[in-house]
Amino acid sequence: MEFIAFAIATAVAYQALKGYRLSRERTLLYLNLSFVLLGAGLLIDGLANLVVLLIRFHRAFLFLSAFGYTINFLAQLLAYGLLVFAYIQQTRNVGAQVAMAAAVPALLFEHNPVTELILIFLLAYIATQTAINYSMNKSASALLVFGAFASLAVAHLFFLLFTLAPVFFPFAHIAQLFGFMLLLAMLLRVNQPT
Amino acid sequence: MIPSEQGQTTKAVSKYRSQFRIYIDIMHVIQRENNQAKPTRILYGANLSHDRLVKYLEELKNLGVIQEGGTDDKVYSLTQKGIEFLNNFRKVESFASAFGFRI
Repeated sequence: MEFIAFAIATAVAYQALKGYRLSRERTLLYLNLSFVLLGAGLLIDGLANLVVLLIRFHRAFLFLSAFGYTINFLAQLLAYGLLVFAYIQQTRNVGAQVAMAAAVPALLFEHNPVTELILIFLLAYIATQTAINYSMNKSASALLVFGAFASLAVAHLFFLLFTLAPVFFPFAHIAQLFGFMLLLAMLLRVNQPT
Repeated sequence: MIPSEQGQTTKAVSKYRSQFRIYIDIMHVIQRENNQAKPTRILYGANLSHDRLVKYLEELKNLGVIQEGGTDDKVYSLTQKGIEFLNNFRKVESFASAFGFRI
C-alpha cells in the first residue's frame, strides 16, 4: 500500500513542479516539496517493512520497521507543516505564521502519540482549508482534494487508535490508500485532454 | 515556456507575476476572439493602456506564442506554441485551484 501511495505522491509532486516551472508561483513549489517529502517517507517506510517481511521478522532487523516508521512520521510532519504554511502564506495570516514557527521545535523533536495528534491537527487544518476552497469554487477536483485530506486525517486517527486496539491498523492503511487514490483521481481529472 | 525572472527581490517577483498574468489575459482574449483578435479588442479585453499593449504584444511575439497578420488592420493570433502553452496553463490552473491556490 505504501508503494502505491508513494507513486501517487510522486505524480502529484511532478504536477506541482510542472506548475511551478510554468507560473513561478511559490505555493506550487511548497506543494511540490510537501509531496516529495510524503513520497520519500512512504518509500522508506515501505522498503523497511518489505525488508523485515523478506527476512521473516528476524529479531536482529526488527529495528528497521521502527526506523521506517520514524522517517515516515517525520517526513509527514514536515510535509503537512509545509502545506499548512503554504495555506497561511496565501491567506497572509501573520499571527498563525508566528504560531507555526513556535510549533516547529515540537514538530522536530516530539515522537510519541502526542505528535500523532499534532499530525491530525495539521491534516484537519488542511482539510478545513480545502473544504472552504470547495465551498467557494464547487469543482469536482476541489472536492476530491478535500476528500483526500479528510481521509488522511481519518487514517491518522486510526493510527492513533491502533495504539489502543490493533483492530484499527488495517482501517488506517485503507483510509490512507483511499486518500491517495482520491488525489490520483484529481490528477487524472485535471490532465484530461481539452 | 514563458521565461522567468528567478533570483529577484520580492518586489520583482510580484512584478513578474503581474506581467505573467497580463500575458495570459492577452492570450485568452485572442483565443476568445476565434484566434483572430484586433489590437482594440485585446486592449479592452485585457484592460491595458495602448503603450503597455504594444509592449506586451511585442514581447509575446518575440516569445513565439502569438503572431501578427492582416494587411490593412493588424490582427493577432496564437501560434501552435501559444495554444499549447495556454492548454498547459489551464491544467496547472485547475490543479492549483483544486488545492485552493491561486496563480
